[in-house]
Amino acid sequence: MRSSKVAKRYARALLGLASDHDQLEAWGVELERLARIVDAPEIAMHLESAELSQVARLETLSKIAEKLDLSFPLRSFAVVVARHGRAADLTAMAEAYRKMLDDLMGRARATLTFSRQPSDEETAQISTHLEAITKKKIIPTIKVDDSLIGGVVVELEGKIYDGSLANRLAEAQRRLSA
Amino acid sequence: MKLKAAIATALSVGLFPALAFCAENSAATETGSWFALLFYVINFSLFLMIIVRYAGPAIKGFFRDRAVGIRQNMQRADSALLQAQERASRAAEQMSRLDAEKARIASEMTDETVYQVGRIYDMAREAVARLKRDTELTSAALRESGRRHVREAMALAAGEIARELIVRNFESSDQSRLLEQFTAKLNQEAGR
Repeated sequence: MRSSKVAKRYARALLGLASDHDQLEAWGVELERLARIVDAPEIAMHLESAELSQVARLETLSKIAEKLDLSFPLRSFAVVVARHGRAADLTAMAEAYRKMLDDLMGRARATLTFSRQPSDEETAQISTHLEAITKKKIIPTIKVDDSLIGGVVVELEGKIYDGSLANRLAEAQRRLSA
Repeated sequence: MKLKAAIATALSVGLFPALAFCAENSAATETGSWFALLFYVINFSLFLMIIVRYAGPAIKGFFRDRAVGIRQNMQRADSALLQAQERASRAAEQMSRLDAEKARIASEMTDETVYQVGRIYDMAREAVARLKRDTELTSAALRESGRRHVREAMALAAGEIARELIVRNFESSDQSRLLEQFTAKLNQEAGR
């Protein structure tokens, strides 16, 4: 919980800075790339090692930022995060940043799980209806799960809309056994 | 008194040989003699006088004491008899009381036994009723559980069969129809 609060504070600060530079999306992408690398097990273990000095940790994160070819403000952000010993919270910061940015841009992310690969038209059709519900632009993430048999399951802002055949079968089974 | 008795006894013993002697001489002299008779009379009178004078009070006293003793013994015996009779009557009363008590206890025990038997009978009847009720409940629960198991097994089997049939016969048009139904649902959600 404390880590999440800290991550939100860092994300909010970066978002403010990105807004000033009109780099909201670009910095968000860069932050996600940095978080993904730092979250990799071997690098995370190295950064969290007690044998690593503060200076060495700082240098490591700086080098990673440089290798990823991040913009100067993002490199500075990585150094600040490392200096405050918050490198492990970078993933949470990236998530918080993405959520804040989505709120700011009036969009929502939805996970659409189909029983088979959907056509663009089908995805767009469902996204349109989801937009009507949320009054936000929907950014869909498509997944395929053949155990659904047919239909689709949507996860949007913590809510699940289940229109799968597997769910209908389970319902029928429950009614039969009741 | 003791002294007098001792003197009388000594004189008696002392005069008895004289009597014996006189008796022996009488056999030798076949003809009687007034002198001898007088002698015997005087002798006997002296003997009697000595006896009366010295042994009389002692004998009288002895018999008086003896009479008193006997009377006292009789009184004691009478009083003992009375006491014994009293005790006997008391014992008889006690016996009758004990008999009454015994009869009362027997009656109470009979009553208590009847009460206890009744209570045990009631308890047994209640226990039987409870057991019957429990058995009915248990059998109903078992029946219901069995039915539920059968329903669940049937539902599972039906679900599996339905799943297999659907998977085998599922087509693109079915998916389109499902998606249409889903979007209709989303429309309803948006309308709320």
